Amino acid sequence: MRSFYIADDVQIDDDDCPDVAVVALGGEVDYEVSPQLRTRVVRAIKEGRRRLILDLTDVTFIDSTAIGVIAGAVERLDEAGGGSLAVVCTHEKVLQILEITGLDSVITLYRSRDEAVSALALAG
Amino acid sequence: MRRVPSGSHTVTVSASELHMPARRSELGAARKYAGEVAKAFGLDADACYEFVYAVNEAVTNAIRHGASDEDGMVHLSVVADADRLTFAVSDRGTFTMPVLDSAETVEHGRGLALMASLVDEVQLYIEPGGTTVRLSKTRAPEPVRARTG
Repeated sequence: MRSFYIADDVQIDDDDCPDVAVVALGGEVDYEVSPQLRTRVVRAIKEGRRRLILDLTDVTFIDSTAIGVIAGAVERLDEAGGGSLAVVCTHEKVLQILEITGLDSVITLYRSRDEAVSALALAG
Repeated sequence: MRRVPSGSHTVTVSASELHMPARRSELGAARKYAGEVAKAFGLDADACYEFVYAVNEAVTNAIRHGASDEDGMVHLSVVADADRLTFAVSDRGTFTMPVLDSAETVEHGRGLALMASLVDEVQLYIEPGGTTVRLSKTRAPEPVRARTG
């Protein structure tokens, strides 16, 4: 049994957001998972997505390699001409790791996916 | 279990070891082992999470560096004394400097800082024959009970 899941086929009910991509993760996101996360993020940016939502609602553990992938995504969006990265997270320990690594200063944090999508729709 | 002298006192020390293949799929097992050790030692839930997190970072590094280990193994060992739990992670691989583009460079370099934030002491030994990281966390002292009578 795997201790994680990752999905990038998440549909959002908003036709006004063609450049939005949602990647949802759950469980323990470690060095086994982070390369898969990188693949999905890189693909989304190559497809022209410029507003990414990483939904970490079900994540209970996130290691430094996954934090690195998220930081790398911010860099890749910059290199692609600009974009935004929203992270959905409520888990106290995961939030603590985002804070220690300073990642919370380069991403926008939301408490729910709906909140993130609404914010992006308004910004779009 | 063995008993070793420590200053003028004798403290009970327990120790155990685990050897695992240097594979990403082993990380869950390493965290489980570290969690069981930390709980048995008496760390509270927050401290257990922090300890397991730091161990996971050390094992991840060992898996990265340990790819060149002759036997492809990562070696974990635990020593617990009266108030301090120490977890050592060793590999026999070598550091290499990867060629990275800018996004990849941004991705790296947080593991050691996280370890240092989450445990009380990090010791890093880099030798020609391999690398060892020792992580120590101190157990909060038990509350002093008021004497009665």
